[in-house]
Amino acid sequence: MQIIENLKVKEKLYIEKLQNGLTVMIVPKPGMKKKYMIWGTNYGSNDNKFIVPGEQDVTEVPNGVAHFLEHKLFEQEDGTNSLDTLTALGVNANAYTTNDHTAYLFECTDNFYEAMDELMDYVQHPYFTDENVEKEKGIIGQEIRMYDDYPEWRVYLNTLEAMYHENPIKIDITGTIETISKIDKDILYKCYNTFYHPSNMAMVIVGDFVPEELLKEVKKRLVKKEAAGEIKRIYPEEKEEIVKPEIVQKLEVSNPIYTIGIKDVKKCDNKDKNELVKKHISMEILLNIIFGRSSKLYQDLYKEGTIYGEASLDYEFGKNYSHVLITGMSSDPRKVFKAFKERVEELKNNGVDKSDFERLKKMIYGNYVREYNDVQDIARMFLSDYFKGICSFDYLEEIEGINVEYLNQVLKDVFKEDKMVLSIVENG
Amino acid sequence: MEHEVKEIKKGIKFHTLNTDKFKTNLFAIFLSTKLDRENVTKNALISMLLRRGSRTMNSQEEISKKMEELYGASFDCGLDKTGDNQVLKFYIEAINDNYLPQHNENILKIVIESLLEIVFDPYIENDGFKKEYLEQEKNNVKQRIEGKIDNKARYSLERAIEEMYKNEPYGLYKFGYIEDLDKINEKDLYKYYIDLINNCKIDIFLSGNLSDDVEKLIEENENIKNLQEREPQFEVPKIPEKKDIKENIVTESMEVTQGKLVIGLNVNIDNDEEKYWTLMYNSILGGSANSKLFQNVREKAHLAYVASSTYYRFKSIIFINSGIEISNYDNALELIRKQIEEMKQGNFTEEEIDNSKKGIIAAINTIDDEQDTGITYYFGQELAESNVSEEEYIKKIENINKENIVDIANKVQINTIYFLKD
Repeated sequence: MQIIENLKVKEKLYIEKLQNGLTVMIVPKPGMKKKYMIWGTNYGSNDNKFIVPGEQDVTEVPNGVAHFLEHKLFEQEDGTNSLDTLTALGVNANAYTTNDHTAYLFECTDNFYEAMDELMDYVQHPYFTDENVEKEKGIIGQEIRMYDDYPEWRVYLNTLEAMYHENPIKIDITGTIETISKIDKDILYKCYNTFYHPSNMAMVIVGDFVPEELLKEVKKRLVKKEAAGEIKRIYPEEKEEIVKPEIVQKLEVSNPIYTIGIKDVKKCDNKDKNELVKKHISMEILLNIIFGRSSKLYQDLYKEGTIYGEASLDYEFGKNYSHVLITGMSSDPRKVFKAFKERVEELKNNGVDKSDFERLKKMIYGNYVREYNDVQDIARMFLSDYFKGICSFDYLEEIEGINVEYLNQVLKDVFKEDKMVLSIVENG
Repeated sequence: MEHEVKEIKKGIKFHTLNTDKFKTNLFAIFLSTKLDRENVTKNALISMLLRRGSRTMNSQEEISKKMEELYGASFDCGLDKTGDNQVLKFYIEAINDNYLPQHNENILKIVIESLLEIVFDPYIENDGFKKEYLEQEKNNVKQRIEGKIDNKARYSLERAIEEMYKNEPYGLYKFGYIEDLDKINEKDLYKYYIDLINNCKIDIFLSGNLSDDVEKLIEENENIKNLQEREPQFEVPKIPEKKDIKENIVTESMEVTQGKLVIGLNVNIDNDEEKYWTLMYNSILGGSANSKLFQNVREKAHLAYVASSTYYRFKSIIFINSGIEISNYDNALELIRKQIEEMKQGNFTEEEIDNSKKGIIAAINTIDDEQDTGITYYFGQELAESNVSEEEYIKKIENINKENIVDIANKVQINTIYFLKD
């Protein structure tokens, strides 16, 4: 296995791409009792239109299939459910779906190899019937309804709705009650066979292990699969313009909840991984300079009672999208939006303050180091970064080289007023 | 992980958890005081006001800048209701010096001094808190109280607790009451704060890769020296008195698409040992994916995505939570009742018992691997005035048998059924 060592956090990553195309990453954590295993496929709610390797025609599936598959994979042919089996082993098992990947995982202290048997068995052996697919629609239906009542989720989806015309990032990961009603076992099998090929998958294991021996255990449990060609994913063309500058939904909430979204249309060359990482780090520093706890904007709005606490500051990006999301609660979201835009203009004109920059760069460095405390955080981070083409250690390395000039450039490239939207959820 | 505890002064304890598993050190100060209607809002305000400024760091901005400078030390406050106590929690988590780019800084020392100053030496003007800060934090507390409705599942749980503990301390909302805010001024609140600091139970926790001199660092700190000895005023959790109760059914309407059903259960235990049995009971009833609620309400009847139960050991109660289609209320309730009945009849297997044991033991085993969980565990022990090590805890779980669990099942009584619908 290839070993990548990071001296800053004093951790090692063991990585190998197996012959069948599966990438296995192991981060040893001597002395830790907790062990974490996660196996993911580079397939999420965005992947609804694609050409199956070896076929000519485009396949288009209803929204919510990736998430539906996540639920259904636990079902076994002998009538058992793998979630039950794993829970019975005393391990904490779960799965999740994002817009670009789906992952199956467990955390444990004992029974690691028994749990690994089960996890690798159920992910490699789908069993869908008309009956078990129908049954799941009731459960997922209640999951969808649960999210309908979450103001934070609504304000998020509406932000994407206001930013994107066609981009599948704006689709609700679960699909809707209407779209999932169209899902049947044939669709599930087709998507499974396309996207759950080892060459489209990656695995991360973190805990007190000898990596080479653990890799052997992984290999033993892999089912042989024929090599597969490349999956061609089809994403619609997306205009640079936003859809609309403001979107409002009425829900019963104590105070308005808002998200400021910025559609980032300055495309980073995805091949240049260092550039992706540098831009991400810069965005984190910038967002904190503009609206972090110590920022003037935050202090002013807090003192006058317009906001009550910190906003969450995020920069999200993937293969075909990138955007800023700033979410918080405010008595007057439009005032926050206006003050935010003014502050951004001011910064663009005057440039970023050097001492703010140095201080917040230190803070972001500390935040990265802290990610290495917990086996779960490490495993999830390495997996999701991997699907973006990034090695998580890069953040610790690239941050050193970022300077004020670079930051000012990113500020100008991304924070454009005509690319900003405001989403509000408020009492009706 | 080594847990050591030392009483620095009567009523003030310093706990260390020495471990090299983490990149960070976690420093925490917990102030515990009895929950009561008169002071609940004041305590909430104090927990928020202390974040606003201290003697040398006069504003939130200064505190934040200092934390950012310390490689993003994260300063956080919490307000908890633990049994009949209100607990004000203050934390700073900071990178251990071993993982800094330069090795010449002593971050931990600054962290300890800063947090002690924030909690015990606040920013004061004219013998009171700063008026401007107080007014802003009143606004903030008001928003927290009003914000109860934003998360419908949590709101339903809070409402069920309120119904179960009408006119009792535990029924109080931890952020207090809006009608109290107008009456509070900066001078009286400061007087109350002095009173709180002089009488509450104080627990100081430090977890991380620690050197021998940390104890000295605490004991010789001026703010610690200034603290008085005290007979700490807090409530040790007791075995609740048994009351014969009638089921209380409460239905409320709000704009929701999904109904939230919460059922509060009293567990009429006789002694502390039975708390461990109740933990097992809860695990089989609704504590995991193998539980009766998850299997029957979700997997077999497809009535819900969430169907679970949680045990509150300080009050010896269990809450069942589920999100259902509003029209399915009767079906869901009947099905849940059936699961409670099945438990009474002893209709669960040795396998279910074993599985639950494994789950609970695994959770205990992870305490050492999570910095905040370690602190939470030992604080729970401290407040309950018990001293059960993780090993002893595991032994107690291993020794539980089916009779013990059936015994608990027959001590369970439905107290409140709360339903939030449209």
